[in-house]
Amino acid sequence: MNTITTSTENAGQQRPRREQLNETRVWQVFARRKYEEPLHEIGNVVADDEELAKVYARSIYDEFSWIEMVLVPRASIVTVIAS
Amino acid sequence: MTTTTRTDNAALFAILSSLADNKQAIGRRYAYWCNGAPALEAAVAAAAMTQDELGHARTLYPLLDHFTQAEADPQQIEPETRTLHYHLRFLDQDFAGWTDFVATNFLLDTALTTFFEAAQNSTYDPLRQRARKIMQEEQIHWMHGEGWIKRLARAGGAVRAALVQSLTSLWAETLCWFGPNDDPVMQRLYQEGIIDATPDELRHRFLAKVVPTLNSVGIDVPVTFNAATKRYNQAQPLPWNRWDATGRRFTA
Repeated sequence: MNTITTSTENAGQQRPRREQLNETRVWQVFARRKYEEPLHEIGNVVADDEELAKVYARSIYDEFSWIEMVLVPRASIVTVIAS
Repeated sequence: MTTTTRTDNAALFAILSSLADNKQAIGRRYAYWCNGAPALEAAVAAAAMTQDELGHARTLYPLLDHFTQAEADPQQIEPETRTLHYHLRFLDQDFAGWTDFVATNFLLDTALTTFFEAAQNSTYDPLRQRARKIMQEEQIHWMHGEGWIKRLARAGGAVRAALVQSLTSLWAETLCWFGPNDDPVMQRLYQEGIIDATPDELRHRFLAKVVPTLNSVGIDVPVTFNAATKRYNQAQPLPWNRWDATGRRFTA
């Protein structure tokens, strides 16, 4: 059967297949378990797509019943004092 | 002495069998990719989705024992002893690649969720309760499927071609799962208020979910959009000659 067609072919044909799927965007994951505690960093995920980053954060950091979880793109973090 | 009061409803028994078998088969196919996904994050997500799908199957199989139809062959109500497999033919084989995972996630699992959405206010309490819980978990599955459709489509080249091939392989069989519009099974569920839609209406709802995402990445599917009704319709007849109404799957 040949019923689904593709109307546009993106650039990327020249890159190796696995390299085309390499993710480059890092997201810092912050969460908290109680309203009286502040958000704290619990890790990071790598995903170019924001929606996929949400899915990954929820599935990887599922050890607690968080009341809040947010993602911050690492690229948007401004360093004030470098370590 | 305990007595079990069983309900006589062949249509509901058939659909619950199909739902359970499809969820079970999806979970088993997903499981293979828990350490084979393109990235560590995707592998963890695959593991979580595997647990969810197998969990959905395990909440559905016990319902079969509530029906008169289970008495004919009691071994068919346990996944461990069941010899009938009413999952889609597409799931008979291992996934050939990650794109088969994504296509199943995006098309078939979304079709099943469309059914559960139609059962949110079901007159059959056990299905209504399970539908609401399943829909909560499926929100994440939808985000995963949609995200990967966009990602693979935008990768271009062989990756995009493989995705289109996987979607093509599953497209018609997924649409057929709802049955022809005069399908006595789905029609009975509709008439009894177990679901709130006919097979054609379920297909419309499903297409309204998946087609915009596919269109957004330039993947054309055989549907037409009716501007007056704001509905997507099949551009060509579905291959009902390949569809087995008992198994709700393609025979070839």
